[in-house]
Amino acid sequence: MLDGIFTGLSTAVMPFNLMMVVVGCFAGTFIGMLPGLGPISAVALMIPITYGLDPSSGIILMAGVYYGAVFGGSTSSILINAPGCASTVVTSFDGYPLAQQKQAGKALALAAYSSFTGGTVGAIILLFAAPALATVSLSFQSSDYFALMVLGLTAVAAFSGKGQVIKALIMTVFGLMVATVGSDVTSGTPRFTFGSINLIDGISFLLLAMATFALTEVVMTVLRGKHNEEEPDMDMSELGSMKLSREEIKEIAPTVARSSVFGFIVGVLPGAGATIASFLAYGLERNLASAKEKLKFGRGSLRGLAAPESANNAASTGSFVPLLTLGIPGSGTTAIMLGALIAYGIQPGPRLFVDNPDVFWSVIISMYFGNIVLLILNLPLIPYISRLLVIPRPILIPLILFFSIIGVYLVSFNTFDIHMMVIITVVAIFLKLLDFPMAPMLLGYILGGLMEDNLSRSLTIYDGSLAFIWERPLTLGIFVVAIVVILVPMLAQLRSSKSVKDRDTAVSTIGEGEG
Amino acid sequence: MILTKDHIGGLVFLGVSVVYGYHAGQIPLIPGDEFEPFNARSLPTILAWLCGLFSLALLASAKQDSNKRLRLLGYDFELVGKLLVLMVLFGLTLDWIGFLLSSMLFLIGGYWLLGERRIKTLLLASVPFVFIFWLVLVQLLDIYLAPGRLFS
Repeated sequence: MLDGIFTGLSTAVMPFNLMMVVVGCFAGTFIGMLPGLGPISAVALMIPITYGLDPSSGIILMAGVYYGAVFGGSTSSILINAPGCASTVVTSFDGYPLAQQKQAGKALALAAYSSFTGGTVGAIILLFAAPALATVSLSFQSSDYFALMVLGLTAVAAFSGKGQVIKALIMTVFGLMVATVGSDVTSGTPRFTFGSINLIDGISFLLLAMATFALTEVVMTVLRGKHNEEEPDMDMSELGSMKLSREEIKEIAPTVARSSVFGFIVGVLPGAGATIASFLAYGLERNLASAKEKLKFGRGSLRGLAAPESANNAASTGSFVPLLTLGIPGSGTTAIMLGALIAYGIQPGPRLFVDNPDVFWSVIISMYFGNIVLLILNLPLIPYISRLLVIPRPILIPLILFFSIIGVYLVSFNTFDIHMMVIITVVAIFLKLLDFPMAPMLLGYILGGLMEDNLSRSLTIYDGSLAFIWERPLTLGIFVVAIVVILVPMLAQLRSSKSVKDRDTAVSTIGEGEG
Repeated sequence: MILTKDHIGGLVFLGVSVVYGYHAGQIPLIPGDEFEPFNARSLPTILAWLCGLFSLALLASAKQDSNKRLRLLGYDFELVGKLLVLMVLFGLTLDWIGFLLSSMLFLIGGYWLLGERRIKTLLLASVPFVFIFWLVLVQLLDIYLAPGRLFS
């Protein structure tokens, strides 16, 4: 393991890769600040740039953008009460009241320290948990992988929220359907190409990610008329001090510690992610607080701000565990990263640890660097970065559209892709108006090819019999977990019509800006 | 009967599963593949059935709640339509007039559609921006960008 850490360290400290962390954190912070654009859109917008880089640098850049976007989302939550993404919605509960009390500087600093601690704790656990899990998963066979993918997809659907489970399942299947477009990998037969040569290679992952997240989110802003809204009015001179007193640090230290560990654990669960982690950590902290302290929640409680901030960053780190060790993305953002890794010709999963230790370890090490960059560079620069928020929407929106389109075009140099993007955007808008979540679709699409491959191999080994499901205890165990994961929320929905308000909000927003 | 978002979604995906399932049956197989335990039609057929099943489940579980109706009032479809047409035009002109010109026109068109009318802003936020971006692509990243069929 030490060899691996040193390999990762030597890759991560290369000047170019360090620059990627810094650039990623800044770009992510800026994009994350823009209301409506969350980590998924931020990472999707970076993909075309990463295609010109080597795999380690590309993934390091995307990891930096991921962190930056979560941090940027917190900043706009605190300063203007407009969360950039779902995982920072809770941050605004206590962050914005603090800003109103002219303590925005303190709130921002607290958010940054909590995020840093959360990310650090997450990175340390990841350092030990990922290789251990990767070693175990080396014994996995194709049937186990197939079962794991089923688990990943059902988990994403299960966590999609109240009344959304069936819709998320439909979208997952829809994503799998989209993945079947193009030549069949094993026989080379064209499927659903309708005679078009442009569809022979299927629909590119980049195109789908850009159209369903970056383009659709921006077009939805226009559709809702939000482009006409006044630019946020921020008085940077009223930020106040960024210092925390010793008493305040003492007060929030236990909160940060338990929320970090809790957030990491939630983040590891496939499909749960940063949004659920932040809401649950906030709820947990409120329950643990004394009656007097409870009254402060929602009115500028430091604990109420520290808990979700630590948890969402730790969960972001945690979501890398299933990605790096099993090749199963734990969230929408890591799903996009999985697609990018596959495009590089790297297969995430237990073999990544063996075949590409430089990628595996440099991602883990660079996550820590990302946290340091956010703390020592982004925090002092927040007053300046947030000035970018006042760029008029009529200028910003066409620029984002331009970058999304040209990002896809510069990879294929085929204008058919631009028209395909428009078609997919129209379909995505229609589905969003009907409240269908997009993240399960992208996850289904990305796992589609791998799933078909593993199912085909399992069936071939077992001579067409489905016995592989129950003959291998591990496969059976994973399938049982998948069934439980999908049945529990459905049964819970049937049994109880009343649930906690916070949970409702969390689950209704997950899937789009979810980290 | 109240037609809610769930009803519309369920019906749409039921239709998708039928059309997809039909085309799954039309996938050509290489000789002998039909006797294999898994061929090019297997997964699409399973997916068509699953999609149909889930769509029916959505239809069956959809509640007759008037709050869940699809309400399109207040959405600016006209502007979105214009933006989408602008994107299509961008795709069409890119091959003919090249990256520089089509990108500038796209940005100016986008700013204009979203309400920016000041000529100075329209030009300043597009011409230098696209030119610098083009320089970065061509000079720094060494990416070849065709000048456009009309100019070559």
